[in-house]
Amino acid sequence: MLYIHKSACFSAQQTYSETDLSVITESKDNRLKVKEPVYTDIPPGTLRRMGKAVRMSVGSALPLLKEFPQPDGIIIGTANGGMEDCIKFLNQIIEYREGLLTPGNFVQSTSNAPAAQIAMITKNKKYNNTHTHRGLAFENALLDAFMLLKENPDRTYLLGSVDEISDYNFNIDRLDGCFRDEIVSNKQLFDHPAAGTIAGEGSLMMIVSGQPSGAFAAVDALQTIHTTDERLVLKTLFEFLHKNGFPAVAPDLLITGENGDARLEKYYRNAESLVPRGTAIARFKHLSGEYSTASSFGFWLATEILRTGKIPEIVLKKSGKTDIRKILIYNNYRGLQHAFVLLSAR
Amino acid sequence: MSRIMITGMGVISAIGTTLKENRDSLINERGGITQLEFYPTAYAGRLPCGEIKISSAALHKSLFTYPDPTITRSGLLVLHAAEEAIKDSGLTQEQLASTDTALVGATTVGGMCLTDELFSDAHEKISGSPYTSSYDCASITLVAQKRFGILGEINTINTACSSSANAILYGARLIRQGFARRAIVGGADSLAKFTINGFNALNILSYGLCAPFDRDRRGLNLGEGAAFLVLEKEEDVNGKKIYAELSGYGNSNDAFHPSSISLEGEGPYLSMKEALERAKLNAGDIGYINAHGTGTENNDETESVSMQRLFGTPPPFASTKSFTGHTLGASGAIEAVYSVMGLAHQELYPSLQFREPIPATGFIPVKHYRKQAFQHIMSNSFGFGGNCSTLIFSKP
Repeated sequence: MLYIHKSACFSAQQTYSETDLSVITESKDNRLKVKEPVYTDIPPGTLRRMGKAVRMSVGSALPLLKEFPQPDGIIIGTANGGMEDCIKFLNQIIEYREGLLTPGNFVQSTSNAPAAQIAMITKNKKYNNTHTHRGLAFENALLDAFMLLKENPDRTYLLGSVDEISDYNFNIDRLDGCFRDEIVSNKQLFDHPAAGTIAGEGSLMMIVSGQPSGAFAAVDALQTIHTTDERLVLKTLFEFLHKNGFPAVAPDLLITGENGDARLEKYYRNAESLVPRGTAIARFKHLSGEYSTASSFGFWLATEILRTGKIPEIVLKKSGKTDIRKILIYNNYRGLQHAFVLLSAR
Repeated sequence: MSRIMITGMGVISAIGTTLKENRDSLINERGGITQLEFYPTAYAGRLPCGEIKISSAALHKSLFTYPDPTITRSGLLVLHAAEEAIKDSGLTQEQLASTDTALVGATTVGGMCLTDELFSDAHEKISGSPYTSSYDCASITLVAQKRFGILGEINTINTACSSSANAILYGARLIRQGFARRAIVGGADSLAKFTINGFNALNILSYGLCAPFDRDRRGLNLGEGAAFLVLEKEEDVNGKKIYAELSGYGNSNDAFHPSSISLEGEGPYLSMKEALERAKLNAGDIGYINAHGTGTENNDETESVSMQRLFGTPPPFASTKSFTGHTLGASGAIEAVYSVMGLAHQELYPSLQFREPIPATGFIPVKHYRKQAFQHIMSNSFGFGGNCSTLIFSKP
């Protein structure tokens, strides 16, 4: 079992320090950008050199590490790491025709820079890993921590995810058909499903351990699968639930990664059809936008609901049970990468 | 706890396109670092690299009946090495397509070997190249997932130059913790303007042939390649050929500097120590170390210091990067394959271009191929960001 003791979530919404999802920030040009706080824990000289992904991950991790100064490792999921720095370095290569270049952007752009910087700043010499498996980068980081805690429940880890929108990866993903052609507000994201969605970014950091004391939520199980066959996804989800006590134990709430992309609706409809009639259904991508590790926002939402006992009105798609003890998250990245996560209250 | 066995391997590098070709080059001390013939960069003819002398088009043709325009060179290298490993271990189509087969890839460059295409797609407004979903790290693992129809847990790791060592230990842990019954693990990287210019800007590329552990070393040579290994539980092996046991692994962070290792070699020391503890071995049990040995000023000195701290006088060691160049995200897996091959054949592969030892330690690597009886072999991989990993393989 993996228990969650503390978390910090940077997103486009008010999710950091005091959570408030009663008023939501509107997207601009199909993008939801993170509201970055003032980074008081990072020395200004260091801060200036940091790209956005590194800044967000270090900025969300350091406050947690004040309370839990030396976890037994740092595990981060990020599809792209420092994309902005990566393309800045690429621009240098092209512009100066492979001439004399400055290495700063190159060093900052590697995917492992967030986990490495956190280790360096906090002098953490223990386990350190970066998972970059696109839409399952966060889930693989979660599975990594889950396995480490299964092996040794006395340990504590910093577990998180980060991805940034840069103009460049937005453009590449747009050319690849990820986003809507026309401008759509996140407030109307679900009103008229069409091909594509809106972009987002964010960072989630958590302190997790194998011990329940002081925790507010727990991960019971997780599984992932790669396929575009919706029947196989449904069958795998069905078997996953049964392996975990279904139907005697059923989720009180289903959180899906529905993102207004008409091409993915069939998968989410199937998942909704599988849970009992009384199960409430929620969604979150109108708050976070879509990105490779957006499922971590859904994960954070689940832990918040378990912590506070309340489902924010803005995420509710269908009301049902109100005493939420068990949550199933089903996320799907671009129709190929599917993840099922079961959480429970402490 | 089940023992994790290696039942299949595949490798492609500058010294060969198969296990056999790679071994022949190592035995005959035939390095593969030369001037570039295929990769288009301004440094062609100046910076020697471990380039695989097969064009991407030819690789593509050898792997596909119907061309797939979205696949990058890194993806092709993955398919080439993974196919050899799968065939070598005799995994069936049914086993591949089962939900208990895991696939763990690793890379640093991913599809960014297509540096110019990436630049153009990042700025283009109307229509993209065929590669718009092929640049990220995950893309190289996803091509193998698709080709082999693997339905179990799939992951891609990027911890810079230790990436594929971490892919191997992650695959072993998936099996041990019951998330897979077998795992195909490894990594790939191809030459890229991105890394050539990045490492050059850091002044750590050698304009001559790299000379790991030599007093007058001038830096590393970049290389390209891929390697995959098939890991299975001992009880599932059923009379199949077993190359070796993955008996230990360690992962720690040096927590010192973004692009260099601390002078006392703390991260390397800790990862080697953890691997020994996990394998329940003493330092004296290790018969050979396949060192990280990049040939940079910083790495070889700090790695020597960390070996001195742990071993006093280390066992025979060498860096096969003097044959292949530094293949970054692929290096941990390529060197794991070499380690397992050396252990299985009871032979030590040498370091090329070594002349004089580093004064601080006086350590001399294995200079020539030789046969030797030994039980356990250690392979080191250290990366930018202080990511250090160590693997130990033992005779089954």
